[in-house]
Amino acid sequence: MDNVFRKPKTHDEFSWENLGNIKEGRGDLGEEMPVLVYRLMQYTMLDVLSKSFGQEEANEYFRQAGYLAGSEFAKNTLDLKTDFDTFLANLHTALATLKIGILRMEAFDPETGEITLTVGQDLDCSGLPVTNETVCNYDEGFIAGILKEYTGTTYDVREIDCWANGDRVCRFNGKARKPS
Amino acid sequence: MNPVANYLFDYLGNVLYSPEKAELDIDKLPKDFQELGEGILFFVKCVEEVRAFANDLSRGNLKGTYPSSDNELAAPLKMLHSSLRHLTWQAQQVAKGDFRQHVDFLGDFADAFNRMTRQLNEQRAALLEEIANSRQRELALAQSNDLFEVVTKEASQWLVVVERESCDWLFTNYPVRNILAYDYMERQLRDQLRERVNAQDEENAQGNPVLVLEHELGVQHFSIIARPVTWRTRPSVAFMLTDVSEEYAHIHELEDVAFHDPMTRLFNRNYGMRHFEKLLAEKRQFALCFVDIDNLKYVNDKYGHNEGDKYIQVVAAELRTFAPTATVCRLGGDEFMLMAPDMSAAEAENVLEGLREQLTAHNNDSKTVYFHSMSYGVVDVPTDNERLASELLAAADEKMYLYKREHKMERRN
Repeated sequence: MDNVFRKPKTHDEFSWENLGNIKEGRGDLGEEMPVLVYRLMQYTMLDVLSKSFGQEEANEYFRQAGYLAGSEFAKNTLDLKTDFDTFLANLHTALATLKIGILRMEAFDPETGEITLTVGQDLDCSGLPVTNETVCNYDEGFIAGILKEYTGTTYDVREIDCWANGDRVCRFNGKARKPS
Repeated sequence: MNPVANYLFDYLGNVLYSPEKAELDIDKLPKDFQELGEGILFFVKCVEEVRAFANDLSRGNLKGTYPSSDNELAAPLKMLHSSLRHLTWQAQQVAKGDFRQHVDFLGDFADAFNRMTRQLNEQRAALLEEIANSRQRELALAQSNDLFEVVTKEASQWLVVVERESCDWLFTNYPVRNILAYDYMERQLRDQLRERVNAQDEENAQGNPVLVLEHELGVQHFSIIARPVTWRTRPSVAFMLTDVSEEYAHIHELEDVAFHDPMTRLFNRNYGMRHFEKLLAEKRQFALCFVDIDNLKYVNDKYGHNEGDKYIQVVAAELRTFAPTATVCRLGGDEFMLMAPDMSAAEAENVLEGLREQLTAHNNDSKTVYFHSMSYGVVDVPTDNERLASELLAAADEKMYLYKREHKMERRN
């Protein structure tokens, strides 16, 4: 007989709550883990996806996953009703506290919405061997997701400098997409 | 040197010292060296990009040509470029008033920058606190002002704020503004307040606590309170005047009853004895006179008390003219006491003798039915007097009796 009280859950729909109570669940080990483990999962998944769907397609999946993560992260952890400067200050603090990277603003054009920023000591790529490519596709989506939640505007974010490309910081440029 | 090596050597020399002449034609190289040549060209391209980028940075140009993405030589400069761009952003934010900016690189510069933003933040916080306090004070002041307006509008007291230096009136309330329509009233008030403002400068000044204004309908008395205040930064004196005319009239009436003889309107014994003691306490020189009406008992018995009273009033009227500075009292019945400051006993006797003659002159009138006369005794009270009031009065009384006895025959005649 089926248990009518508990409906089966699937993981094809992300929800912030499904991240679970990490603090309670990892009472001894704690909420943190080495970056190595994060990257192990990230690049093995990239490997599998690239082999299954090709490099470009795999990068796009990463970008979309990053977008979803950025959007949920913004909605669940950031104050989206503050002024822009305060929002950036809070974002800087949040990214540093969660050890995602050190956010540094370079430029913002209030007319066009174009934004340039760097992430130092980036979780995804700092320390990677130089492979002459930009690899922070997940970050691109992550930043776009955050910007979308705060501004309400869809952003196309591209990495223009990357550690994996021989640079020492990851620089991102975001362009606001004009409403069609 | 090998011609290929020489060709490449010259090329590298030109790259370093004469870039305009630097040219490397791969096709001129033997096949085996062509890949090396391509490598050298790429390297030189990287070097030139770095040089151009460094030149831009050295001139503060952060918008120059950016090295290509595969130029790893430029990585440290790109990082510096990124830092400078971020620093520019932070400086722009500070200029906008966002003092949360924090530089976590650039060593001593970072320390100085972070100290600056921290201080700016603290100063702004202090300023905001001051503004908040100031707003609270303004609010409290506005509330006090509202209350002040109500109180001054409804108060029956007169309120005047006078600037200490110019004696200009800085504030008047409604009752005062009412009297400004009468020049002579305003003039009196201005003059008296000016005197009191000037008196404020004197140490321990004790002004008259009552201010008097005269007008067509009579005299108005005010109790007055003066307090130093700062009125819109100007040192001033605030005066509060309360109309005490009614109380003053009542007190005056009580004093009149307490100190005057109702029939003659001369001072009574109560006042006379107080004044006598006061003169003694002040060590004043004066002539003390004791006066007795002759034959009053006879007049009362024969012609009745009404006539006796008239006789007393005739004598009182004569004594009233004794001297403007003298205090004339009716002690009771037929007895009077006079105190004449700065007058000798001999002078006083002269005056009294003159008054007695005027009184006896009534006897020449055919309508006069009884003899008018009075007796007196005068003693000197010197400044070094040591006798008691009762002793002095007894001495004057005794002299009066001597006088009466001496002039007994006149009355019979």
